[in-house]
Amino acid sequence: MKTTDLLMKIDRRIIYLILLVVVTLPLIFPSVQSVRVMPPVEKLFNAIDTIPADKSLIIDFDYDPQTLPELEPMAIAILRHAFERRIKVLALSLYVQPLGLATNALNQVTAEYNSKASTRADSIIYGRDYVFLGWQPPPLVPILGMGESIINVYKTDYYGNQTDTLPLMQRIKNYSNVGLLVSLSSGDPPRWWIEYAQNRFGLHVGAGITAVSASEFYPYLQTGQFSGLMVGMKGAAEYEEIVSSQMGIVGRRKASEALPSLTYAHLVMIAFIVVGNIGFFIQRRHK
Amino acid sequence: MLVFVFGILGIIPFIIPHPAVQNVDEYLRNNLLKILAAFALILGLGSLLRVHIDKMKRKGQNWQYSWVLILTFVVSAIIGLFGGVNGTGILPTRIGSFPFDIWTIYLNVEVPLGATMFALLSFFMASAAYRAFRARSTEATLLLAAAFVVMLGVLPFGNRISPHLPSFAQWIMDVPNVAGQRGILFGVALGMLATALKIILGIERSWLGGGGE
Amino acid sequence: MTLSHDPWVWISAILSIAILSFLFRDNPFYKLAEHIFVGVANGWAVTFYWHNVLMPSLFNPLFRQGQFLLTIPFIIGILYLTRFIPRVSWLVRIPIGISMGYAVGASIPAVSQAYIIKQIQGTILTPENFQAWNAGTTGIIWSVILLLGVICTLSYFFFSREHKGLLGVTSRIGIVFVMIGFGAAFGYTVMARISLLIGRLQFLLGPWLGIID
Repeated sequence: MKTTDLLMKIDRRIIYLILLVVVTLPLIFPSVQSVRVMPPVEKLFNAIDTIPADKSLIIDFDYDPQTLPELEPMAIAILRHAFERRIKVLALSLYVQPLGLATNALNQVTAEYNSKASTRADSIIYGRDYVFLGWQPPPLVPILGMGESIINVYKTDYYGNQTDTLPLMQRIKNYSNVGLLVSLSSGDPPRWWIEYAQNRFGLHVGAGITAVSASEFYPYLQTGQFSGLMVGMKGAAEYEEIVSSQMGIVGRRKASEALPSLTYAHLVMIAFIVVGNIGFFIQRRHK
Repeated sequence: MLVFVFGILGIIPFIIPHPAVQNVDEYLRNNLLKILAAFALILGLGSLLRVHIDKMKRKGQNWQYSWVLILTFVVSAIIGLFGGVNGTGILPTRIGSFPFDIWTIYLNVEVPLGATMFALLSFFMASAAYRAFRARSTEATLLLAAAFVVMLGVLPFGNRISPHLPSFAQWIMDVPNVAGQRGILFGVALGMLATALKIILGIERSWLGGGGE
Repeated sequence: MTLSHDPWVWISAILSIAILSFLFRDNPFYKLAEHIFVGVANGWAVTFYWHNVLMPSLFNPLFRQGQFLLTIPFIIGILYLTRFIPRVSWLVRIPIGISMGYAVGASIPAVSQAYIIKQIQGTILTPENFQAWNAGTTGIIWSVILLLGVICTLSYFFFSREHKGLLGVTSRIGIVFVMIGFGAAFGYTVMARISLLIGRLQFLLGPWLGIID
């Protein structure tokens, strides 16, 4: 009984320390885990891969620093996919906080491609291959406005260029020129794209979401309102895997690197719950 | 009355695709709503500053930190407003090779702070899992069982336990989870519709604050 | 292990550790970091609201391009500031009413379509829904389970009658589906929170301490 009492009263800082060690060691001593790609991510990959040549991909960067580890790997994997297939990309954000992170992701992948490119045609050129539209509040303004005219909503892009002077914007007028929109978000934005843009203009929507929102968003995947879905760091790792295996894209795979830590952390959490319950049942029996 | 009029103006473009209606809707959104949203930030900022200035005046608990908040806000706002979004404004944002434009400040101050704050949650969750998650009833046991299956199934490790475990976890998300969430979603959606109608018709007035006219 | 020479990396690391120090106990470093976070976040927001919204959408068109119709949204936006003047604070209801009215009105057809009609379409037993599972004839079974699950979940949340008899049975089945959904949500939440911790550790061990690549 004393042991169970001790276990039940264990200092929370010991629990924190165990978790910290379990998560840190696999990062210092990395191992490779094979990733099995599940149907929701496969659907999203196929939806992006089959975007017609005359249509573009819109990426809605709606993650903030708090959800960066889960969603940035998704953004980078999708950008690598899009640039490899030479799909034209429009980037935007519905909130002000993600703007810096969106710039980071775009700059990182663009630099990766341009470091390997030998000609201008091979390179990823701003204005020709992608445009960062930036942000216009409130969210309803771009979601509904882009159905009529993108340049009316975003008169200037994030960098202050007049959008009607950019080569890409000469062809991409509104949603009818958009093959798919992928919303990378920790909250409601994917739902808003469905509610407003999909219902009114027939826009196809995919989503990359944090794992916290997973169970709420699956009903939309089942109805086909989402063309595909990535969930959390595992979803990001699956997309990294499918992009690497199907397209041979080489690059740092941050989400996949985290999988061993995630695995051991999950096992430790399960152990905590089991041990806690064992102690609880023993104590209850003695009472 | 205003809420009713603008509520109707919000509904009509969904129903009437006529270009005249769509053009008015577009003008309303791109000009009126966009600008109002920008001014709403000023309201939020004003409230934040007022709270902290009041705290400093009456020397409330931790009032010294309010100085820090206001100072960092003022400094970052000046750097952003006058230094420009990309550091190309009238204020220089570099001393030698040390940059301090708003983008650098965001990436190196806000991002680590925000990210670390949420990283704390993992520790609290571990502590809560140990102390509070008890299989006290059949329903709680079911919840924990589903949680264990999903936690093991979504990771590559689950494949090593059984090749069917990831598929089973996926099935749990696709079928029973969707059923439960969809039932909840119907209730939420009907509630949202009812509240929206009540607001437009003026029956729900809590947004006025203090029950005004 | 090669420590970073970039001062900003050190600033990021020190701020991250200040937040993590909260795990030991609440302390001045944590409070300082918290207040810096709020200050910088608002400075960042002000920068973009000014450069990306107010200047290009209001002040430039109004004062440099002569679009005087924008005076109307300008004045309505200014009314937000009356919140700080008690005698005329009721005027703040005008811009709030406009913004909220439009948003609420636009949400009515959107919510009905996305949350109710489409979700019903996904629940009823149709050949399209059977085939959507990509599971052959087993898809019919999953669709039936889904339909029953949704009906039972809805019956659980029906509180106008006592849960006895048939309603009692269906509501008990409904709670099973809800609990499985919540268990799945908990399992994924664990992954989410741990991911955030991993992200921070990847930064501290990588760019700062140089222990990992």
